[in-house]
Amino acid sequence: MLKPLEKNPLKLSQPMGALLAFLGVKNCMPLMHGAQGCASFSKVFFTRHFNDPIAIQTTAVNDITAVIDGGDYSISEAVKNITAKVTPELIGLFTTGLTETKGDDIKGVASVLQPEHDIVYVHTPDFEGGLESGYAKSVGAMIEQLVKSQEHIEQKITLIPHVSMTPLEVESLKEQIELFGWDVFALPDISESLDGHLGKKQGALSSNGISVSQIQELGSSYAVITIGNSVYGCGEKLCSKNKKMQHLHFDIIGGLRASDTFYNSLMSLSNVSYPHPSVIRWRKRLQDALLDTHFILGGCQIVLACEPDLMVILSSILTEAGGKIKAAVSPTKSSALDNIPSKNIIIGDLGDAEEFLDEHTLFITNFHGERLAHKYHSALLTRGFPNYETLGNQLKDDTLYEGSAKLLFEAANCVETHMHH
Amino acid sequence: MMVNKKQIKELLSESACSHNEQKKSSCDKPKPGATSGGCAFEGAQIALFPFADAVHLVHAPSTCLGSSWETRATPSSYEGENNTYLGYSTNITAHDVIFGGNKKLEDSIEYIIEHKNPKAIFVYETCVSAMIGDDMDNIASRMERKYGIPIVVVHAPGFVGGKNLGSRLAGEVVLDKLIGTREPTQIHPFGINLIGEYNVTGDMWQYTPILEKIGIKVVSTLAGDGRIESIQMAHRAKLNVIVCAKSLVTLCRKMEERFGIPYVSVSFYGKRDTSNAIRSIVNAFNNEELSKRAEAVIAEEEEILEKKLIPYKKILKSKKAILNTGGNKSWSIASALQDIGIEVVATSIAKATLEDIEIAKQYVPILIKSPANEQAKLIDEHNIDILLAGGRSLYTAIKKKIAFVDVNQEKKVSYGAYGGLENLAKDVCAAVQNPVFSVVGTSAPWECSHA
Repeated sequence: MLKPLEKNPLKLSQPMGALLAFLGVKNCMPLMHGAQGCASFSKVFFTRHFNDPIAIQTTAVNDITAVIDGGDYSISEAVKNITAKVTPELIGLFTTGLTETKGDDIKGVASVLQPEHDIVYVHTPDFEGGLESGYAKSVGAMIEQLVKSQEHIEQKITLIPHVSMTPLEVESLKEQIELFGWDVFALPDISESLDGHLGKKQGALSSNGISVSQIQELGSSYAVITIGNSVYGCGEKLCSKNKKMQHLHFDIIGGLRASDTFYNSLMSLSNVSYPHPSVIRWRKRLQDALLDTHFILGGCQIVLACEPDLMVILSSILTEAGGKIKAAVSPTKSSALDNIPSKNIIIGDLGDAEEFLDEHTLFITNFHGERLAHKYHSALLTRGFPNYETLGNQLKDDTLYEGSAKLLFEAANCVETHMHH
Repeated sequence: MMVNKKQIKELLSESACSHNEQKKSSCDKPKPGATSGGCAFEGAQIALFPFADAVHLVHAPSTCLGSSWETRATPSSYEGENNTYLGYSTNITAHDVIFGGNKKLEDSIEYIIEHKNPKAIFVYETCVSAMIGDDMDNIASRMERKYGIPIVVVHAPGFVGGKNLGSRLAGEVVLDKLIGTREPTQIHPFGINLIGEYNVTGDMWQYTPILEKIGIKVVSTLAGDGRIESIQMAHRAKLNVIVCAKSLVTLCRKMEERFGIPYVSVSFYGKRDTSNAIRSIVNAFNNEELSKRAEAVIAEEEEILEKKLIPYKKILKSKKAILNTGGNKSWSIASALQDIGIEVVATSIAKATLEDIEIAKQYVPILIKSPANEQAKLIDEHNIDILLAGGRSLYTAIKKKIAFVDVNQEKKVSYGAYGGLENLAKDVCAAVQNPVFSVVGTSAPWECSHA
């Protein structure tokens, strides 16, 4: 009998992805249009993952407004109550399963409120898609509704990271591109808002990130670089704002060969034949890391369970050292999964991943994997949302030469420690 | 029975709640754009998920359970597969929204029974399954007849209200569907039900051995370390004990009306409150021998505790603290802090009910109405050493260079009863002695020190 239900879900919802996208915009108030629980659950979820206050409000749809309100009342009331206390530069309005089931006209409500407030609206029911699509839709909505069309280009690049990238990964990627002489703007930019810095803010609004005025001017970017299959379409949307803009897309930026491709494209875009010396050094270190770890990782059976865009990066890095992907479990469909060399590519949950675990397996998933790894005596490496058990998630970096080298060592040490216990 | 207006109205105007004697109600509808806190579904989840021998099936799209499973540390001694930490969801998709989710729900229930053979299944209605109008009660009762285990539909979709209401609705359904459906082989003269005790971090296990030593038997719990069969026999207990949770007072009032079981409300935080809690329970039985045994055990436990607390009290003596948290914690933690020798100068009542405020008055001299404005000033005026608050107040503590304890963070160890008080003392001492707050508060080399 095919499993008709989810057991130990891996899937996170579209509104949660939307929330993360809006948290990368400076002084933004993400406003979830649904019952109060959707916002509360998501707030607690990310607060515990990042160990930082998370800005979010809810339209608090109740049993009466669920039936008779078309969204106008609860949304405009929410905006009124929010702006009575704080002055957001942007209100990110996104829907949930409840408000999509009743079919609210958020575009209409937004257009009524827009003369006075900067609002971006997006449809993100949680009965469709998942974290990646909710995030990509919200980034797309910000581009469509905020970015001005332009005809001239400047010496700047827009970077669109995928949803599973950590704050530090966004920051290091910006820095890598800056090494080639560009001004870089990440949309969204969680490297300054969710990176875990001590600030004076009480967290009513998102603390930092890309500003609304910076987003409005992204149309003059020389190029847009999208990282991750899920945000490819966002790059296309931005290009439609300026005919001269180029689009560089990378499904994967982990492992030696994928990183080579990345730097190669960046060199030709920037018209240089050598990158910064630090890039060259890190490539050599990665070569060495691959050789150092291949004894342990070679033939190592790996089970992955996380968001597709994250999974292809992990797979790319670990298979270069000889790791075998026994199974890859993704919460949602994605063509990125075609990049994973495994017989068992599954759209499912941790209940499905469980089938492949044993004492010889390296299991890479979120903290929910702990109980399973313990049960099957597998080695566990935690990656992805949520991770309530280990600290410093925001400072993990598994990308390009440097991040790949560090991940290889971490994975090899994890397997080695596991085997000796 | 679908959730209905009449029932919600009744739950919100519970006559046993003191605040309902006055106009102001803390159970009002949430305000758009100015609301924090969980929904009714979360409240139901909190109340019922600790039943480890039942499977909890959430009929919902991905947010409801995807973001919330395995988040609460509610340990269980159940020897079978512990369902508390597992997540089962029907994962409603657009297809189900259009064509209905009845079939999926039915298949899911059959799958669970076939693969897991649980003692019962709780099926949770959520916003979307309520809106698409799946006939959950019909399916559940059909499945119940077919398989002979309780299949209980919990009608607490998020949009009906907050956590508190959800817990109440969960209590109602347990009363209607489970309590009184099984008879015990023998009835204990001093049997109690623990209501609203969820055994977070094992809090309950700090005091249940003490109760047993006195001669009191825990018949059932709602729902910490709970079992379905026990709760079915809850009507044969002699006393309901509400532990630190107002939300289930309706259930207790109804059990009193229906089964003649009286109830007491207690807190097991701190030495004095724990001893008082034991006394309240024992007094309800009005049995001289039991009371005598209780006094002996209390004296013994307090003595052991006081000995253990000596090293901590040396460190904490004459330390002053401000407490900024919500609900019953505004007084229960204050009382526990006093028991380890700390002077609690002020406590926040911004998120407390009228009843909590009345109790807080008895413990703490200053009640803070607006912590954001008053907290920093009070720290200066009273030379405060420790701020116990949520993460948002961390910066205030750093700026004032005083110790900080995050009281809202998910606890890893229990602070309950006598044993837990030692854990609290240990944690507060560690914070007070930790240099980290002043180190972090050091100004950077490039900042003007006199600024």
